[in-house]
This record gives sequence, C-alpha cells and structure tokens, in this order.
Amino acid sequence: MIVEREDSALLLAEVDRFARERVAAATARAETPIGAAVLEQLSQEAAALGLLSTATGESGFGIWEHVDHAGAMAFNIGALTQLGRANAGVAFAWHRTALARWVAGQLALELDAASLLGTTLVSTGHYGLARTSVARWLKSAALHGDEVALLADWLDRGAHATVVVAPHAWRTLLWPVWSDGRIAWQLAHRDRLDVQPCRAQHGLDELAAFQVRDASSTAGLKPLDDAASRLIYGRTLKMDMIGLLAIAAGALVRGQELATDYAAIRTQGGKIIAGHPAVQRMLGDIEIARHHADVALASLARPIDDIDAGAVAATRVSAHALLCDAANQVVQVHGGIGYMCEAGPEKIVRDQNMLKLQAGGTREAHAFLAGWIGAFA
Amino acid sequence: MSAPTHLEGHLPADHPLSPRRQYRDLPLIGRSLANYPVKDLWETDFARLPGPLARQRRRARAFAEQHLVPVADELDLAAHLPAGECHLAALEVLREAGRQGWLSYFLPRPLGSMPWRALPYPPIWQCSLIVEEFSRACGGLMLLLSAHHLGAMPLLLSGNVRNILRHLGPVYRSCERGDPHLVAFAITEPGAGSDVEEGEGAARAHPGVVATPTTGGWLLNGRKCFISGGDLARTATVFAALEGEGMESWTCFYVDCAAPGFRVARTELKMGMRASGAAELEFTDLFVPHDRVIGGLRRGWAINRATLNASRIPVAAMGVGFARAATETALDFAKRYTLGGRALIHYQDVQLHLATMVAETRAIRSLVWQEARGAWQPRQLNASMCKFHATDRAQVVCEMAMDLLADHGGLHERKVEKIFRDVRLTRIFEGTNQINRLSLMEDWQDQLLDVDQHMGV
Repeated sequence: MIVEREDSALLLAEVDRFARERVAAATARAETPIGAAVLEQLSQEAAALGLLSTATGESGFGIWEHVDHAGAMAFNIGALTQLGRANAGVAFAWHRTALARWVAGQLALELDAASLLGTTLVSTGHYGLARTSVARWLKSAALHGDEVALLADWLDRGAHATVVVAPHAWRTLLWPVWSDGRIAWQLAHRDRLDVQPCRAQHGLDELAAFQVRDASSTAGLKPLDDAASRLIYGRTLKMDMIGLLAIAAGALVRGQELATDYAAIRTQGGKIIAGHPAVQRMLGDIEIARHHADVALASLARPIDDIDAGAVAATRVSAHALLCDAANQVVQVHGGIGYMCEAGPEKIVRDQNMLKLQAGGTREAHAFLAGWIGAFA
Repeated sequence: MSAPTHLEGHLPADHPLSPRRQYRDLPLIGRSLANYPVKDLWETDFARLPGPLARQRRRARAFAEQHLVPVADELDLAAHLPAGECHLAALEVLREAGRQGWLSYFLPRPLGSMPWRALPYPPIWQCSLIVEEFSRACGGLMLLLSAHHLGAMPLLLSGNVRNILRHLGPVYRSCERGDPHLVAFAITEPGAGSDVEEGEGAARAHPGVVATPTTGGWLLNGRKCFISGGDLARTATVFAALEGEGMESWTCFYVDCAAPGFRVARTELKMGMRASGAAELEFTDLFVPHDRVIGGLRRGWAINRATLNASRIPVAAMGVGFARAATETALDFAKRYTLGGRALIHYQDVQLHLATMVAETRAIRSLVWQEARGAWQPRQLNASMCKFHATDRAQVVCEMAMDLLADHGGLHERKVEKIFRDVRLTRIFEGTNQINRLSLMEDWQDQLLDVDQHMGV
C-alpha cells in the first residue's frame, strides 16, 4: 500500500488533532503522570483512529505499518513527532508496541490481538551498541572471534539483565538474541522471564522500568537465515532510532512553545524577558536544535532500505545532544519555575535524557560508526 | 579469578618500561624530583588543604556517609508532604547534624561549632568543603542543611554583635542541643525571581513584599516563593521594601515563623533535591518589632547582594560534589559492568570518557578552592564566575555519567539520574547562570569602561 506525501499530510493533520485534543489534554498535568488505565484508554482511541494496529500485517495506516516508501516514512516520523509533542511517554509506548508488531509481522509471529500494549520491544543488547561488532555484522564483514564473542555476550539475555522501559502491564517482549552465529528474535512471555521492577525511572513517567533476564534462552526463538537476519535487524534498529529521534523532536516542539510563551509574558528588569539578549540566545539555541532535528528527520523520510544505518546513528548522536541542550534551555528560560514539576519543562529534560539513553544510548555510536565504515574492533 | 594487574592497553606498574617503577630507582635528587606516591585522589588533596580544614572535610564526609547516604533514596522517592510536615528520616538527619555542629559552623565556640584552628581561613572555604561532601551524598539533604546557613548569613553580615548574640546565638545553641532551629532566606518574589538578584532589574521592579510602619515595629504583607527550607524554618530573614518606596528601600527583617500572619502557603514538587522543601511564604500583617530589623533600614539590598556573594562559591561547591558523585558512580559501574567478558573500564573509549570526567571534576574543584581560599570578602565577579562555570560543567559531567551507563543510566537504582536531577537546580538558584554571567560583568564594568586601561584576566 502506497501512502503518497499528500495523503500523509492529511493523515498527519488527523494525528495532530488527536495528539492535541486527547493525548496532550489527558497528560496536561506533568506533576501527576497518567496511570495504566488512562494509557490503555488512549491506546484504544489511537487504535480506533488507526494509529495503532492489533494486527501484525500491513492492514492500515498505523505507525510503522508501512516503511518501504517515502510517504509512509514521512507519516511514521510525523506521527511520532506530533505524539512526542503531546507526551513523550505515550509516544514511546506506542512507538515500541508498533515496532514490535512490525517485527512480528516480518517473522510471521502471532501477537495477542486483545491487548494493544501487551507486547513491547527492545532493539539492542544489554549495554550500548556492541561497539564495532554489530555494525560490522550488519555490513556482512568477516568477524573475528572476539567480535562474535562480544555479540553473543551483548545479546545474552540470561547472563545479563536487559533494561526494559514499557507500560506497566506488558505481557510479552520481543527482543533480539544471538543464535547460531546470527541475530534471531525471541518472543518471551513475561511469566517465563525473571522480571525485576525498578523504582521510578528518570523520565517517561507514564511508563515503568524493569530489569529482565531470560533463564531459558531457546523458548519462543524465531531463527532466521543470514540475509533475513541482517535485513530485519538492520531495519528494526534504524526504525527504533528514527522513532526515538522523532519523539524527542516532538518533545522539544512542546518545550519551545512553553519557552516562547513564557518569555512573552514574564517580565524582568521592567520588560518582557524575550527582550533580553540572554533569553534571546536561549530561544535561538532551542530553534537551532529544532531546525537541526527537522532537517535530520526530513532526510530520513525515505524507504527504510534506502536509509543508511550509519547515517541514522550519526544523526542520532548530534541531534539528541542538541535536543537535550535545548530542553535544558527551556528550563533555563523559565528560571525557578522551570524546575518545578507542575510547570512542565523539567519533564521535557528528563524525557529527552531517557530518549537519548534508549537503544544503546549515543556514546557507543562512535564505535558503531567506526565499525560501519570498516574499522576493526 | 585473580584481579588483573593492569588495565588493557596499558603496561602493568611493575613492567620494565613502566616509568613509575624506574622513578623509584633514580638517584636521590632525581628520585626526589620525579618519584611520587600513588594515593587516592581525594586523599591527595589533604596535603593541599590547611590541617583544620582537611579535618573538617574528613568529618563532613564521614557524617555524610553515615547519616545522609542511607536515607537519600528514601527521601528522594518519598511522597510529597503537605507544607510544614517533615519526613522522620529528614528530621533525624537535622537533629544529628545539629548535634554534630553542621548547623552552626560559621562561628567558633562558644557561639558556634567552628574549630578555633579553622579561624584563620575564610568560612566560605570551610563551607565549600562541607557542601561538596554533603552534595556528593544527597543533594536534597545537603540543601536542607545548607539553606539554613544562607538564611543566617544576613545576621552575620549585618555586622552587629548584638544581632549575632541575640538572634544567631540561640539558633546555634538550639541546633547543637539536637533541636534544629532552621533559618530561611527569603528574597524571591512571585514574578520577580531575577530582579532580586540583579541591580538593573531591581531598579525597575515593583516590590512584592511591603513593610508598613506600626507601633513598635513593622507589618509585612506579601509573598515570597521558592524559599529553600522555608517550610521547616522557625525564623527567616525576609527582605521587604518600605511602604511607598522602591527596591532601594529593601530592608532585612528577622521574622518569627510562628508569629500570627506568617503562613506557608505551599511547597513545590521539584525535579530533584526533594529532601528539601521549596516553600511559598505568605505574610498578612505580620508584625516584626524594631529590634528585628537586621542591619538597619534600607540596608537590605546590600545585605542581600553580599549574602549572594558569600553563597555562590558554596553553590559552585555543590556542583563539585555532584560531579564527583557522578564520576565515582560511573567509575564504579565501569569497574563492575562487563561487556564481552571484559569490564568496561578496560575499553579505551571508556577510559577516555572517565578521564575527561575526572579532569572536569577536579578542574572545577580547583576553581572553587582558588576562589574560596581568598574569600574573606567574596567579590561578586569571582563568586558569580565560580558559580556559573562550576555548575555548568558539573551538569556536563553528570550527563557524561548517564551516557556512560547508556541503557542503565535512567534507572534510579544506578544513582546517576538522581544526581542529574539534583545538579540541575544549581544552574538556576542563587541567580540563574545567565544572571551570574551578567553579575560578573556588572562588577567588572568600572575597569571595562576605561578604554586606556590594560585589562588583565
């Protein structure tokens, strides 16, 4: 199914209305995060709108249902940006559950159709981005023994706890594991996993964090041949990184609105603070970050197989850094009130930090990129 | 499994090509110039501190580890209490801190708890050392213990021995008995945060708290906001304009928080530093007798600015404490967490990352000590520079720690996320870092305006 760019714009207008009128309204009080029931209710509404699908095939226009042409990617990115503007936690939950359904569809796995948020996904190993190794594996480079051992360890779900950020009531987890020298996927049921709930995490307050291990590493395993393994994993990693960046860009849009609105009414030194160069500098920083993210995301609105994974990783490093800095400037424009939970800016900082830290974080992206361009481990 | 003898990518210390081994074998003069002991970095600094301050630093660290660390998480995650209520764990910390002298160290015995041998050194230096240790343990509890000194500072800066004996003396004695009498510093007003920290803004600001003369004293009316420790304080140094006058009439009033007309309107739910309340205070015909005017009428602006000059170096020290906590946490993670069968610390890129964090942390500590060492009369330029630079860089270090922990960095259990939430406030309070940059320039302007004068920096 082809989604033309014009169609995409019309769909996004609907998403925008839903994001503003339902998601942003339901989550307006930053100091009191929504509970599981409200998240489920919003998810049902998103499904009714077609944003989320309970099917695993390409049946509609939901997030990540289509990735093989530019219009569809523009829709995925635009929708996640708009949802991120409304609430980053909700957007993250929907991004990951939609991505799980896309992967399940690729693997011909059946997911629980009754629960929209029942399945979540982790796209990486227990820490970072496997240094140079996963990039070189994706490039079909001849791996030496240490690299294979590192990948096996990176995706060893029994030896290491994996951090999962997801809705409280997730039931199944789709994650990559190392099997027979390649990446396979495992659909693990929560009741078979060792799941340790964590205390309130840094951000994405609408969700919860868990440390998860799997004692029986072969249950629910979906092996793949070499080519399919690389193709599906490469696509998933790119989609996850693009989704996180889109949500973060949307969250900054909200931050920018807060900062500009506040700067236009708050006075200091006898005039509105927007008139002070110190504040103008910060508003400029925010606009620079937003522009950078917009340009970066626009460059990624292409068929998923046309997008270079190295380009996504590189974009992620610079864009998340700028977005985090800009979110901090939103707080700084507000001064003391920006630190208070009810005002909203501090949550945007925490959410930006969390988004940067998902999918392996950004620090190891440099090693990933070195591997991507051919450096050895 | 035996412990490794060296980090991967480096020679072991006993290798023939290890220079440290050979330093020991140099002739006497060479040895005395090149050989060095390998000590813990924190311990190394002891040789650089005067003995009395070094001992205070060690005491503060011991207190923080014994009393602050064990309750830091509990208080950070505890439910937000109604104004005026205090978690038992925080109350117990306050009591013990009072008994050990951590709420009375700006004066020597018998008035306070400062060791007599520390008297030759600026109290700001001692305070900065203590604040770093407390911040490393818990930002919220540090603020709970430190905002009190900020509140008491105007009593000292008034320079009036009678004020000190009559007002500060009982505060300190009560604290040392284990009955914590906290003092809050109340300058910030709704709608005028930066105006009370910067001269040009103050010149155009409309005072939010006004003092009206009445028989025997003054009646205060208005509101103050974001007052650290204001919810638990028994007394407060409140700055108000005189009726019919502007900010230049600001006067410091020493307010009894139990007096009729004083109300804690609310406390804020904050991003971090949650063990310390940020209160909105409401004054309705609050009577303050003449003898509780601190420093004289219309002296409040000067006392306020002098207080900020005194407090900004310790705020910079908060940044050092947070950067140090983040660095130590990241180091611990890198030593224990394995990837591909190797602890992260063995990877060269991790070593580069940690080396930068250590350098940043020690660089801002050097800055704080350099400025604190001479801070008998802390200059606005130096204090503001120290504050904005140290806290900006401290946040960078905390971000680096989160980045190093990657997927694990957002977990509360890994500690770094709390440190980030705590450090974030240091770039905002005591004047935003933007205001502090302008404060530097304000204090420097006389020299800057002279086009013929060579400017040394």
